[in-house]
Order: sequence, then C-alpha cells, then structure tokens
Amino acid sequence: MINEFVTLIVGFIVSLLSMPLVMKFMKKKGIVGIDVHKKSKPVIPEMGGIAVIIGIAASVTIASVLTPEKTRLLLSFLASTLIAGVVGAIDDLKPLSARVKPFLTLFSGMPILMLCTYDPRGPIFPIIGRTRLTIVYPILIIVALAVTSNAVNMMDPFNGTMSGTCTVITVTLLISSFILGRNDGILLSLCILGPLLVLYLFNRYPAKVFPGDVGSLSVGAALGAIAILGHLEAVAIVAFAPQIMNGFYGLSTMGRLYERREAARPVVLLDDERLMATPDPEAPLTLARIILAHGPLYEYEAARVIIILSIISGILAIFTAYLTKVTI
Amino acid sequence: MIRRILDFVLVLLFVWTCMIMGLWLINEVIVPLEIPWIKNRAVIAIIKLMTSGSLVLLWLWLWREVIKRMFWHTLKTHKNIERRLKSDKN
Repeated sequence: MINEFVTLIVGFIVSLLSMPLVMKFMKKKGIVGIDVHKKSKPVIPEMGGIAVIIGIAASVTIASVLTPEKTRLLLSFLASTLIAGVVGAIDDLKPLSARVKPFLTLFSGMPILMLCTYDPRGPIFPIIGRTRLTIVYPILIIVALAVTSNAVNMMDPFNGTMSGTCTVITVTLLISSFILGRNDGILLSLCILGPLLVLYLFNRYPAKVFPGDVGSLSVGAALGAIAILGHLEAVAIVAFAPQIMNGFYGLSTMGRLYERREAARPVVLLDDERLMATPDPEAPLTLARIILAHGPLYEYEAARVIIILSIISGILAIFTAYLTKVTI
Repeated sequence: MIRRILDFVLVLLFVWTCMIMGLWLINEVIVPLEIPWIKNRAVIAIIKLMTSGSLVLLWLWLWREVIKRMFWHTLKTHKNIERRLKSDKN
C-alpha cells in the first residue's frame, strides 16, 4: 500500500511543479486560448495537459521501480496515454479534421494489444459474469480507447468540467478496484489521480490554464486503459455515462462527426455573464445545453451541475462493481 | 438547481436500469435460446448476436429519445414562464 501511496504523491508533486512552467512556456510561445464564457475574454495558456502527462510519466516510472513485476502493464498504460497525447498535441498546434482525429486515437489502444497486457478471456459484466468475447475483445479495446479519449475531449464546455469529471471517474475506478480486488486498477488509478487533481486546481473556475486536446485525449485514453487493464469495463461504461451522453447526443443531432468550431454554439453568453441554452435547432444537443434548458446559469454553477452528475453516475458505477462482485 | 439534477438522475437511473435488465435478458433468454428448426450452430450464434445488438441499439435510441423530448419540453416550458413573467411586469 505504501508503494501505491508514493506513486500518488510523486504524480501530484511532479505535476504541481511542472504546471506553472508549462503555463509560462505556452504564454511565451503564444499558445493561448480565449475564455469565451467570460465578458472580459481573458487569454488563458493552452496545453496544460502536458503537465498531466509529465506527472503520469513520473508516477508510472516510480511505480515500475517499486513494483518491477508490473513494468509491462505500466508501460502499455503509459504508451497508450502518450499516443493519445501526441494526437492531442498535433490537434492543438494544427487542428485536425473531425474524421482524422478519432481515427488517429484508434492507435492509442495498440500498446495494450502489442504487449498483451489485457485479459484475453474477455470482459466481466454484472449478472452475465465473464463473457467469451475472445475474438471481438481486441477490436473492442482499440475502439474503447478511441471512444473514451474523444468522449472526454468533447466534454470540456466550462472551466473545470473535464478535469473535475475525470477526477470523479478516477476515484470511482479506484473504489471499484478496491471492491473487486483489482490491484492493477488501484495502481493505475493512483498513477493518474495526482496529476488530475493538479489539473483541476488550475483548471477550475476561473481557469488559469486550459488542458487542451493534449490533456483531454491523453486523460481519456488513460481512463480507458485503466478500464481495460484493471478489468473494470462495466464500471467504466456507467462512470462514463455523462461523457457518453454528451458525445452521443451531439453526434446524433448533428448526424456526423463534427468539430466544435464547425458547429453552431450550443450555449450563449448573456450580458450578466450567465450562460443560456441556444434554441437554434442546428446546434448540437450537448450536455451543457440540456442543463441550461431550465434557464441561464453562471459558468461555475453549470460546471458544478456537470460534476454532480458525474458523482451520481460514479455512485451507480460503484453499485455496478458490487453487482459484478456478487455475480462472480 | 435541484430540478436540473433530478431530471438527469432520473434519466441516468432509467438508462442504468435498462442496461442491467438488458444484460439479464441477454443472459437468461437470448444466450440459452435454442431454435430447433435451425441445425447450424453458427447461424444460431449470429441470430443471438444480432438480437443482442438490436437490444443495445434500442437502449441507445430510447436514451436519445428521452433526452431529446426532455430538452425541447424544458426549453418550451421555460420560455413560456419567461414570457408570462414579462407580461406580468408590463
């Protein structure tokens, strides 16, 4: 247990130290974004996700030193995160099309297949128990990591929502790993928890940094990898419900893959800095827009609603873990 | 605020219950299903797979429809309330 705790602390401290440096560098290089949900339109440094990747790399390195028998598992986890991170970094610097980006994220599942760190017997579901998806499972792994990374990428409408909801999912996966006795899930969740907490501290309202696609895609892929490597597939599906909801509604209303910059804005900024859902039928039906349908909210309130939703789906996911335990 | 969250909690509970019921249905009904007039096991497996796949699609469709109706209904209701408040003020 001490090893896992050291992993968590190292990831947190390394991310905490590297975040200001990344922010300073991005500001100097002019890699900044405008916070569109504020009247003053502040300029915020982008690509803060790099500090998260540095933190994950540090905690994975420490974890592989402390538990050398898990080096292969940790290596596949880190490689998956890095591949998604590289795709995100490319997208941040030179925007990719709505089709190319999801296609490139398919490669983030490859390290898990190449290093054979997944359970070839297939996933375990509540009520059903172990499935026999031996042939389809490797294909599902590739798709799963692309889905989680892009779902997280699409769920970043307000300050702190991406980092907050992903922290909740990580804690959910951690608790579920304890319930199901999945030591790999515990270790990997702790590798990512420290850097995510740092990202939340800097990204919460009012944001001092944006994670960028480098952050959202890498964190999404890391969470997907934890679900596969920790055998927490069913738990992850439930924990990811708000992200799945957001991506699925957006895609189904638009009828195609789309980039945020191509679509009509789902949310409008009012004079008093509150946010309102647009009645524009052409705009994608995102989770943020659905939440704001009840009436305008301040950005921090809307972000809080999304994080509360994530906590509720986390509770359902933990209950799913219990059901899985009862089944097996 | 509570109303906003409650709507979603109900949707989440509905979707989660549907998922658990769907898994039960697949496990208890579809997997043990035997079709006496079809001898080929591969064909039976494909039928089972397609039935399970259809259930998943139905689950997603239901999820989408519930949210779509909820969104437009809420937006309409909220606009009506705003309009009434404005006319009361005038």
